[in-house]
Amino acid sequence: MSEKERKFLEVCGLKKSFGSGDTKQDVLKGLDFTVAKGEFCVMLGPSGSGKSTLLNILGGIDSADSGEIYIDGDKLADMNEKSLTKYRRKHLGYVFQMYNLIPNLNVKENIETGAYLSDAPLDIDELLKILGLYEHRHKLPNQLSGGQQQRVSIGRAIVKNPDILLCDEPTGALDYNTSKEILKLIEEVNVKYGNTIIMVTHNEAIKEMADHVIKLRDGKIRRDIVNTEKIAAADLEW
Amino acid sequence: MAKESISYGKRPKNPMIKRVWKDIWRDRRRYFLIFTMFVLTIGFISGMFVSNNSMMTSLESCAERFKREDGHFRLSEPADKETIAAIESGEMADVAEIFRERAYEEAEDEVIEAVDDAMAEEIDKQVRAAITEQVTAAVDKQFEAAAEMGQKFTGEQKDAALEEALDKAISENFDEAYDEALKQAKDSDEYADALDEAFDKAHEEIDKEIDDKFAELSDRYGLDEEIDAVPVTVYELFYKDVKEGLAVDEDPGIGIRVYPERKDVDLFDILDGKAPENENEIMIDRMHADNVGIKVGDTITVAEEEFEVCGLAAFVDYSTLYENNTDTMFDAMTFNVAMTTDEGFERIRGNTRANYAFTYNDRPDDEYEEKSLSDDFMKALITQVAVSENEDIELEDYVPAYANQAINFANNDLGKDMSMGGIMLYILTAVLAFIFAVTISTTLEKESSVIGTLRASGYTKGELLRYYMSAPLMIAVFAALVGNILGYTFFKNVVVGMYYNSYSLPTYKTLWTPYAFVRTTIIPIILMLIINLVVITRTLRLSPLRFLRHDLKGSKRKKAVRLPRWRFFPRFRIRVFLQNIPNYLMLFVGITFVMLLLSMAVGMRETLDYHQAHMSESMFAKEQLILSRTEDDDGNTITTSAKNAERISVASLERKDETYNEEISVYGVEDDSLYIRLDADFTEKAAEDEVYISQAYADKYNVKAGDTIVLSEKYEHKDYTWKVYDIYDYSAGLAVFMTNDRFNEVFDNDKDDFSGYISNEPITDIDDEYIAAEITEDDILKVARQLDHSMGAYMVYFQYVCVIVAALILYLLTKIIIEKNERAISMTKVLGYNDTEIASLYLVPTAIFVFFTEFIAIYLGFILMKVFWKSMMLGMGGWFEFTMPVSGFVKEFLLVFIAYLLITVIDFFRIRKIPKVLALKNIE
Repeated sequence: MSEKERKFLEVCGLKKSFGSGDTKQDVLKGLDFTVAKGEFCVMLGPSGSGKSTLLNILGGIDSADSGEIYIDGDKLADMNEKSLTKYRRKHLGYVFQMYNLIPNLNVKENIETGAYLSDAPLDIDELLKILGLYEHRHKLPNQLSGGQQQRVSIGRAIVKNPDILLCDEPTGALDYNTSKEILKLIEEVNVKYGNTIIMVTHNEAIKEMADHVIKLRDGKIRRDIVNTEKIAAADLEW
Repeated sequence: MAKESISYGKRPKNPMIKRVWKDIWRDRRRYFLIFTMFVLTIGFISGMFVSNNSMMTSLESCAERFKREDGHFRLSEPADKETIAAIESGEMADVAEIFRERAYEEAEDEVIEAVDDAMAEEIDKQVRAAITEQVTAAVDKQFEAAAEMGQKFTGEQKDAALEEALDKAISENFDEAYDEALKQAKDSDEYADALDEAFDKAHEEIDKEIDDKFAELSDRYGLDEEIDAVPVTVYELFYKDVKEGLAVDEDPGIGIRVYPERKDVDLFDILDGKAPENENEIMIDRMHADNVGIKVGDTITVAEEEFEVCGLAAFVDYSTLYENNTDTMFDAMTFNVAMTTDEGFERIRGNTRANYAFTYNDRPDDEYEEKSLSDDFMKALITQVAVSENEDIELEDYVPAYANQAINFANNDLGKDMSMGGIMLYILTAVLAFIFAVTISTTLEKESSVIGTLRASGYTKGELLRYYMSAPLMIAVFAALVGNILGYTFFKNVVVGMYYNSYSLPTYKTLWTPYAFVRTTIIPIILMLIINLVVITRTLRLSPLRFLRHDLKGSKRKKAVRLPRWRFFPRFRIRVFLQNIPNYLMLFVGITFVMLLLSMAVGMRETLDYHQAHMSESMFAKEQLILSRTEDDDGNTITTSAKNAERISVASLERKDETYNEEISVYGVEDDSLYIRLDADFTEKAAEDEVYISQAYADKYNVKAGDTIVLSEKYEHKDYTWKVYDIYDYSAGLAVFMTNDRFNEVFDNDKDDFSGYISNEPITDIDDEYIAAEITEDDILKVARQLDHSMGAYMVYFQYVCVIVAALILYLLTKIIIEKNERAISMTKVLGYNDTEIASLYLVPTAIFVFFTEFIAIYLGFILMKVFWKSMMLGMGGWFEFTMPVSGFVKEFLLVFIAYLLITVIDFFRIRKIPKVLALKNIE
């Protein structure tokens, strides 16, 4: 792996606070880390540790107060709003905890909203099969279970074959079995398409399936571990 | 990695395009409301504009199509060919000269006869004397000779002998001597001198008499000015004014003016049936027929002769059924115009009125030229009639087309409807703009997480902007299409129906009306686009994160307001209220619009009724008489013995403006008038150019004391500039007041000139022939009745639209409030509150809010309506203030509150329908 690939995502001295004066709250207190290309990186931390804020900043939908972020050598801070949109459009996929599907589009159409953004999207039908949604492709989101909806959300993010897939607590609203299915899917996607995956979660067990684990607490990195003994999602227990 | 095994597909078409349709379906109720409002606005207003334009254009084109007259005149009896030819020449006859020649001619014979008679008598006397002298001398000689011879005669014998000799001499010599003497006398210079002297004396008398008479005529009609000849073509347009009886109930109260067949001028448009073909058929005015219920095939009596109605028509010179041009208002119920064949005309017993229509051989280019031609032609007409060989013929009536109410009234009145439509359009467009703004901001709020997700995924603002613009634009374009179709069909027919109900109009062709399309369609669509563009663009400036967090309000999170320790439910309601303040503000604006619309719907009717009820109160005096001339045939000033009658002078000027030329009455008032009470010291204090203006004038054009006003002659390029001395409290009309003396100076009249009399007592002692117009209380009420007639139908039309739109606004807004609280309502359901409790928590605050808002909104709506009303009145003649009695406000209040209560019932069902799971869904 080249140095560039090893430092595919580089974060230096990242700080972020909310509010001002007495109510000022430092959420991120100077983070430094790198994520390699194609790596499955899990960010762990309890509520309020700043992990979602970090993810939003990495996704270009929130901004840092100071510090630098480089993605594939491009400095995020140099990008204006237009370039940031372009950056998200070309390089990022988003998976939200609450799926955020478009309620009056069916499964396939929801995935098409992602595909439309790419010049070379994945084959939707094949993806639907991988997602296990092919049979449900004409259904509306409200006709699906939570797990199925999250699959659609992953499909929508992955269909444009982004360089980085940002997952914000993707299993946060799901039960154990469904969560495991979703994690298996993300793992499969990572293997098949080779995207860099950054997943935010408070579920300690998930770290086992990651290549790289960053533990956050109180806006600081407490541990930054490369997991050499990762296990398959199917074998996770919690 | 395994990227080689990835199969790629094609980039799909934008899936959001499909979603546009789905969005429209999802929000079908809201879009239906917008669609309905758009369709109503476009359909209703373009219906008005299109019918108005089509009808006006048709009326204008009729003048040529149906060879409308340029004027008509009526003579006391039919004129001979020579007189008609002289009138057609358009040249002014030299009345004085012709009269003089005729008088001289008449005088010549008389003078000669008189001189001859005198001379014959003289010669007779002289010849007799000469003969007597000669005979007496001869007889005396004979007696002297006889005496010398000794014969003796008695005196008696002598006398007898002389008498015998004289008789003999006269019988033998007189004639010859007389003729000889007469011949000598006529050849003499003395005779010629005598004759000349007699002629001179006669001419002198004639000249004096003619000059006096002509001076008076010339003064009255300005005959001393030279005119250019106005050649015209004159057509016989005789008629008989008789009584019409309906076969069903022999009502003799209807006057019918029957013309024989019209062939060359003032033709007609047959709307039903056919023109009369035999002496028993008659074609009558369509509107009169509609008003009294006559149909083709019915039989009516005309001067007691029966006729079958074969056709209903609109006569080009009677688009409004004015019986006389001096009538203050027309009446299609009691007056009818008809045409028969020439034979049918003969059947009718009645005086034939020698009426003639004329057309100018050289058409005038504009109304100024028409007025000037008409003035010149009148001089030609008066003089030619005066010099007609038939000395009994008189000119009874002269009405140029531009001053003919029967021709112009409908046209002028149709113009007024445009300004009414215009104001309605302003209000509806404002309402639409409000609805667009509310709808799009609600949509964006609802779509917050979708927008956040799409933006986070990389959708650009432009893509989202185009997407969120699509549905409203599609609805607007579709509604515009439907609205225009309805405007050109259904709504147009409704309005045209109203026109036909008021006026005797010809058939029309529906015309494409570009300004209607621009104002009713293009402008609202552009407005909608701009509002959507601004709201969406502003909202999309927010970061995707804000959308994902449903944090679209610009302000930072507020701290909870501390509430007093009330019971839980009132506190909950206050919380609901505080949380929904922006929504309630929106509701407030909405209700204000509703009140504005209702003000229009309720207030216009009320204003008209009020105006009608108070019109007679605002007359200067119970009777106002305008004279056609102020001196009678003997040259004496026409006076009246009516108690407290005052002289008044009246002139009509125009306040010229780009949009509308307003007719302003200028009054000259007696000093210390009982009826128009100007300041006692006005005469002394006021400068020469200072005048009073009426309250109505001041209100309509925002004129204050000290301001300058400029009025112009209607058909001449002459302006009058005056300074406003003060406002006179008179609201019935737009008027300027000054003293009679000033009036006469301003208008170059003689010092003692005046126009008529005003009095509270009936003026009965002035001969009808001198009265040009008489305005009584009933006439004023007639104006109001007519206004009611022509505007009343619109009121109903407006009321329907206003009430429908008002209900739509209320429904839309309360729906939005419920929708915005759906999640909270769902949560209270989850917590175990029942539907009634929830309704009381969420509906009561809104009900209380609506109740109190109504008071403010009613006031605001009224104020706004006053502003709109004013702008409407600026586009038409006259002025009356927008008024609303308390009952009108109560009506408005109740209408809205009852509508709101009905909507609350719908809202209650909406609340019942909100699922509990909603609370658990999509919350981050």
